[in-house]
Order: sequence, then C-alpha cells, then structure tokens
Amino acid sequence: MTIAETTSLLGQPIDIREDEQLLRGEATYVADLRLPGMAHMAILGSEHAHARINGIDTSAAAAMPGVLKVATAADFAGVMPLPCIWIPGGVESHFPPHPYGLPGSRPVLSGDVVRHVGDPIAVVVAETPKQAAAAVKAIVVDYEPLPVVTRADRAIEDGAPQLHEAVPNNLNAYWTCGDKERTDRNLAEAEVVVELDLVNQRTINSPMEPRGAVGHYDQATGDYTLYASTQGPHNHRFLLAALVLGIPFNKLRVVAPTVGGSFGTKGYLYPDMPLVLLLSKELNRPVKWVDTRTGLMNSTVQGRDHRQHVVLGGTRDGRITAVRCTSYANLGAYPSTIGPGVATALMGRSITGMYDVDAAFCEVYAAFTNTVSLGAQRGSGRAEAAFLMERLVDKYATEIGVDPAAVRRQNLVPATKFPYDNGLGWTYDSGNYQENFEKALEMAGYADMAGRKAEARGRGKRLGVGIATYVAICGVGPSTRMSQEGMLGGTWESCNIRVHPTGEVAVTVGSASTGQSHETIFAQVAADQLGIDPATVRVYEADTLKAPYGQGTYGSRSYSMAGPAIALTAQKIKDKMCRAGAAMFKVPEDKVVYANGKIFAEGDEENGKTFAEMAMAMWYHWYLPQDIEPALDETTHFDPPDFNYPFGTHVAVVEIDELTGETEVVAYTAVDDAGNIGNPKIVEGQIEGSITHGLGQVLMEAAEYDDEGHLITSDLRTYALPRAADVPFFQLGKTVTPTPHNPLGAKGAGEIATVPPAAAVANAVVDALSDLGVQHIDMPITPEKVWRALNGTSGAAQ
Amino acid sequence: MKISLQVNGAPADVEAEPNELLVETLRDGLGLTGTKVGCDTGQCGTCVVQLDGKSVKSCLLLTAQAEGSEVTTIEGVGEGRELTDLQEALRAEHGTQCGFCTPGMVMSLSELVADENAAPSEPEIREWLTGNLCRCTGYHSVVRGVQRACAMRTADTAAAATAAKE
Repeated sequence: MTIAETTSLLGQPIDIREDEQLLRGEATYVADLRLPGMAHMAILGSEHAHARINGIDTSAAAAMPGVLKVATAADFAGVMPLPCIWIPGGVESHFPPHPYGLPGSRPVLSGDVVRHVGDPIAVVVAETPKQAAAAVKAIVVDYEPLPVVTRADRAIEDGAPQLHEAVPNNLNAYWTCGDKERTDRNLAEAEVVVELDLVNQRTINSPMEPRGAVGHYDQATGDYTLYASTQGPHNHRFLLAALVLGIPFNKLRVVAPTVGGSFGTKGYLYPDMPLVLLLSKELNRPVKWVDTRTGLMNSTVQGRDHRQHVVLGGTRDGRITAVRCTSYANLGAYPSTIGPGVATALMGRSITGMYDVDAAFCEVYAAFTNTVSLGAQRGSGRAEAAFLMERLVDKYATEIGVDPAAVRRQNLVPATKFPYDNGLGWTYDSGNYQENFEKALEMAGYADMAGRKAEARGRGKRLGVGIATYVAICGVGPSTRMSQEGMLGGTWESCNIRVHPTGEVAVTVGSASTGQSHETIFAQVAADQLGIDPATVRVYEADTLKAPYGQGTYGSRSYSMAGPAIALTAQKIKDKMCRAGAAMFKVPEDKVVYANGKIFAEGDEENGKTFAEMAMAMWYHWYLPQDIEPALDETTHFDPPDFNYPFGTHVAVVEIDELTGETEVVAYTAVDDAGNIGNPKIVEGQIEGSITHGLGQVLMEAAEYDDEGHLITSDLRTYALPRAADVPFFQLGKTVTPTPHNPLGAKGAGEIATVPPAAAVANAVVDALSDLGVQHIDMPITPEKVWRALNGTSGAAQ
Repeated sequence: MKISLQVNGAPADVEAEPNELLVETLRDGLGLTGTKVGCDTGQCGTCVVQLDGKSVKSCLLLTAQAEGSEVTTIEGVGEGRELTDLQEALRAEHGTQCGFCTPGMVMSLSELVADENAAPSEPEIREWLTGNLCRCTGYHSVVRGVQRACAMRTADTAAAATAAKE
C-alpha cells in the first residue's frame, strides 16, 4: 500500500476549541462539582513548623453544628503513608519508611510529630464548608515545640534539628554527576577562574485554581471515585489504590475535571486525596474538599530552593574549560512524590546548557527542612541550571574583558557534534545553537545597545542588556532511562483511536490537560495524520475509566509523547483501512492508496471510498476477509528511545530607575526551538506565559520563611505574582530543529521558556550596574536591593 | 436575612447570612459557578462580577451590600449563549489557557470596553488588568484580545459609515 502525504494541518494556528467554553465560564473545575448528599471536609494544619503532639482534643469540634465526623491520625491507623516515586538515581538515599519497603513520604495525617506549618493533623467533615471550617478551629492541639531548621545547608550540619528518624542529618542523598577529577584539574590549571554564591530562591507555583478533591464511595458496588485537580489521574489511581489505601485497583476511578493550571504542583499525591475517599466510605456520602489560597501556600509543593557555590574556569581568550556546582537543595519536610529527582538530576545534568565544556561536575546535598515539601515548578531544575551557568558566563566575560555574546558564541556546541554527550548524563538529540543564538541577537538589536544606553542615561535610567541560553530536557520519557534516574514507574504515553461507523473519530490519550488545549492539539494531530476534518475528531482524557493508561502531563511532555502515540495509532488505522481496501477493490495491498482521507486503488481515485465510507464498511464487516477484524479500534503505547532537548536564546533589556532602583523590563526577545510545532497559537501562548513566570522569579517572587518556620508570604498580598502592567509585549522568534526521537519531530514546549528569563534579566541588571562594580544581585531583584547597589549600601550586592 | 437582587436580568430574592459574601451567594446559593474563588484576600480577580455595570470583586462584598443592585455574572454576559465581541476577540487571540481567571477577566474587561467607542491604549489595558491575575498567558493574548475587540468595532463602524454613504 502507499501512504501518501496527507494534509498539512500540523503547524497551523487553528482555533482553540476549548476557549469558547472557558470564555463563557462553563467549564467545571473541582470546586464547581456538586454531588447529591455531598458533605464538606476541612483540614487542620499545624501552627508550628516542628513540634511533638502531646494530645488532640476534638470534643468541642465534634459538638459543633453540622459536624459529621472529626478524625485524627488514630482514625487512619491502617492506611499506608504516601510513597515517594522519584529517588535520586544511583546513590544511597534515606527516606521515611513505607510498609512495602519503598521510599515513604508522609502519613495521611500526622500523629506524633508535625514537621512544617500546615502539616495536616486532623479533619472535620460537616454539612457545609463553613461549618467544617468553623469546627476545625475548635480542635485543640497540645504542641510541644521542637527546634526548627529551614535551610538545606544548615539542616545537614551536626547538631541541626532532626526531622525523620530514618534520615540521619536530614540528608536525603548526596548525589553527583560529571567528572570530578577532570573538572578539578581543569579548574586548577585554568587561566581564569570565576565563582559565585547563588541563592535560587524558593518560589510558589501559584496556579489560579487552588487544589481540590471530591471522594465518592458507592456502597452498592464498592467502587471509589476520586475527582481531583490532578495532572496524572492514572498515576494517582495506581499509587492511591496499591500503595496508600490497599484496595483493588479495579475499585478506584480517578477523574480530573477541568484543571485550572498546575505548573508542576498537581502531579503529586496529597493527603486530601485518600482522606476524601476514606471519609466518603465511612459516612456513605460524597465528601468534598477545596483548598484556600493560604492553605495552598502551606501545603502544595513549592519550587526551586537551591543554595549554590558555582565555579567556572577558562582561558584568557574565552574558552570555557570547566564548570563546577555544589548545591544544597531544600526538599521541605517530606519528600514529595517526585521531589528528590527534580532537585538532583533535572538540575545537575543540565548545568552546562548549550556549551561544549571539556569537564563539568555537579554535587547536590538534598536535605529535609521544616518547610513545605518541594516539587517541580515550570522549568524545574533546568531553570536553576541555566541561572547558574549564564550568570557564570557573564562574570567570566567581564573578567576577561570580552563581550558576553562573543564568549557564548565561542563555546556553543557545534551543529556538527550532535548527538552530543554533555558529560553529565544527557545526550542532546539535535540542535543548531549558532543559528538560534544569532537570530535572537539580531532580533533584539544586540549590536546597537551602546546608543540606547546613552539615550536612557539622559532620562535618568540605566539600561542593561542580558543574554541567557538554555537546553531543557523534555519528553519524559524513555522508561528504562528514567528508571536509571531513580524513577519508580514507567514514563511512556498512550493513545487509543476509535473510528465510529459514521466516520467520526474518538481519540483517547493517557495525558491530562491542566490548561494546555489538549482537545485542540490532539484532534489536530489525528486529523492531520488521517486526512480528515478536525471537527469530526473528539478527544477524551483525564478519566481512568475511559482512557488507556498514561502518565499525565508534566515536564512539557504531552505533545512530544501523546502526539507521537496518536500519529502511530493513526498509522495503524490507515494500515487496516488499506488492507480492507485491497479486498474491496480486489487489488494487491501495495496498489491501495490512502491520501487526504480517501482510500482507492492506484489510478482509480474515482471509484475509491471516503474515510467515512470505509468506517461504515468495516463496521458492517460484510464480505471482508476473516483475517481483517471488524471495526477500527487501535491502541499504541509509545516509549521513546530517548528524551528530547529543546533549546533557545533569550535577550532581556532592562531599565533601572536611578532614583528608586526599580527595574523595568523594556524589551524581551525569545527565540526558542521546540522542534516541529503542532499549533503555534498554543505554543506561543505557553511561551509568553512561561517568560512572564520567569520574570516573576527574578523580579518579585519569593517564599520567605521566618526562623520559626512560618511562611510569611502565605497569601497574594505578600507573595507577588507578575501582573499585566509588569510585562511588555515580548518579541518571539523560533528556529526548528526536529528531534529524531519521535515521528512528529516534536520537542517539549510548554515550560521551556521559563528556563532562561531569570538569568537574562539578572545579567541585564548587572550589566546596567557594571560600572559600579556590581557583580551579582540575588533574586528577587527588588527595587530595594538595586537601590542599595546604586547607593553603595551593603546588604544586597556582591 | 432576605436580600433582593437582580441577577443577570432576573429578580433573585435570596436568603443570606449577614456575613455572607456575594461570591458565596452566587456560587452556593444560586449555583452560578462561572464566578471563581482563587484567593482569600481580594487579590486574584477570579471572582469579578459587575454590580450596576461596575466590575467588583464579589469576595470583597457582602451580599447584603448588593441589596437592590443589578448583578451581572459571566453567565449573564451577552445575548443567550452568543459570545460578545470581546469574548470573540479573546477567543481569536487565545486569551485563555486553563480558563480559571477567564470569567473574572471577561467581567472586568467588559466594563473597560462597555462604551462602544472605547479605545484604551496598551498601558491603560494593562493598568486595568492589575486586579486580575493570570498565571498561564502572561497577559499578552488578553491585551491583544481587548485591542482586537476595539479594532473590530472601529472596522464595523467604518463599514457601517461607508454603507450609509452609499
């Protein structure tokens, strides 16, 4: 058979089918769910960051109006602790216990000891949310405060407060990658060595929708259903059924309704999930829990939080010979579901970015502290890596008196060197870094900055320009490779395509959108591959009852993982149609042509069949050979041969007000390469959002804990998120270097542009202040810190 | 206590606690769940509705304060289920991703472009949006959506004027 090129629907900015429903406010999020007889749960979180619990008095709460149940850890003695499934790969690590010998995370409720403010201690279920919230406040806890530690570097010191019996010195793992000996030798021999002490501050992902969960136990069937704002319903089903509740997998269904953003926070197991299920069973009523913003900030995983000492060695004429990073990664009080892997591999293996460096080494001390657990945040690990590398490159360029662009240009991995082993564990698939880099510089007008600086100075502004490049591992991923990284699970993706007798198509994938327009893009892939109208394609996902197993959305994986699964499944559909066509047209299979949704015998398009006619014929299955099964229903599980590595170059131009120290981003150019792009409208929207997220980290966002472990930025008055007036329109460009690792040539896109903005802006700020001898300012770069730098007041600048 | 409101053009007499927030009445009492709750402190803007044509944060208003007022929620925007020109322009620009902030954005921006001849500048649009947080879009497509809505009207007006002359 011949499979001709079909349409070129992929790459087109077709309209987003989800948008109309969202613009009308008709989408259903967890908080909008109402089931008959539904009761409401509230959670009591610890007031102390570290304390022994000597007693809990729930009697007053139990007597309050509408209260149906008050429960503490003692009520859930038979429930297993939540597991952790991404351990630092290849090294000794220490975790709280789990009865199956797996790494444990935390109990569903803490009984003897609490380890962070907000650590769940008790729950109330009542008739209304207000009654539940009021009753929770009436629970009296007898705390015996214990010493607190909130910084990873301090947590591993002798004599620091100990969080977990099974974790000596709070050290989850000492993890390394790269060639220590060669790196140290190169550094010792280097003509120039530059160093920085960096704080990649803790940030709070802050999706606009706080998390929520509804548990529904059906007494008649014994089935549990969990509706939750989750990125990975299938994973949650497996982990909850097998490793937490100990119930048959067959008895648990997990559904993600519309999810209001995630950015890495909603792929984790949280105590509320088993709790609503257990309490629904006990009360024989659906139980709903919806978090508040302050609750989210004290319970949902947070991001970044590395303290680093980083070193770069090179020649006088601009050749980088070594990079070394020592990092103290703060995992929070408990290992989140995948937190330890995020803090080690995603950061450490990425530190040299786009550069061809002779030797590099990274060591990470991952430690527990009395803070909220750490997880992924948009660009996780890779953003921390890009920040340290790009700050080092700028400092190096200053040190040797060479333009930062020239130093970068001199060290980019040559296009001829792919696949490129970066010596830290990643093998970059494909790239043309030079083309990408030059395009960004040209678009940004990098060559003409001197005049702009002088002009700005005349207005009382200091103009600075900063460049940051990055490589962001995406497309998680190859399951065996991920197992070597310590992932306890498969990381493939799946697709099922059913062709209905009418010729309409149902595409079901294992991923789950949290706002990435999956219905549009997956219909677009299927329609493109099958040569049919996307309007006839319906996309299903995010319900374990309907969808084939899959891993959900994270790490910018959906298009480059589920997309290929769809393309491969469409191919199976086309192959089967062609086999049936051979029988119908009475020609050999290699004489059947499939083109643009039509099937015909070569040279006889006139007597061919449309896609819909073939669908109907195969549904009836009249006079078709026995070796061709009826109907069209195919499934693929796609496990790629390796990751994919999108990359890019960003250029930020800032103006600093000399009087106030305020930094304004006045121009921002981003040239990203995500391989072949399916729908530019979706990708550009994600890139714009990602850059804004990155600007938030560098200019305003910081999760601040006081010495007693209280999060003092626990609402949106004290935790600053970028607003519309904080950003200019960005200038976006792209280069296209397809990956060889999947049939669409697609690389990750959703979060990649969050990786470089912090470094680009920090470099721009330092550039603007360079004549004052400023070499670094820690994030967030607030007006106060800049003002201090401008006025030579200590406290901020190095 | 009994509170009399007009909600989306129809009278609504509701029973509300003295300390009940308007957003609670709308969501829990009247089942109008298009209005969202994203924070506890009046910062996020996902709960914006219009009170007598002015956008307000319904989490910062007691239901009792709305006595006798006309409340418009996202469910009451436009004719039936037809998108308004603002919504249509936002759709064309993909001015929504996860959609959680979107109803509040639409309600807030509807006031900005309520006047047929509204032509806010880019800084004015950005300033207007400071009460609405979005974590997905970075606001670009939202700002472009407003600009597009206004441009569409100008084009319509110009076309109408040309047609009238002919």
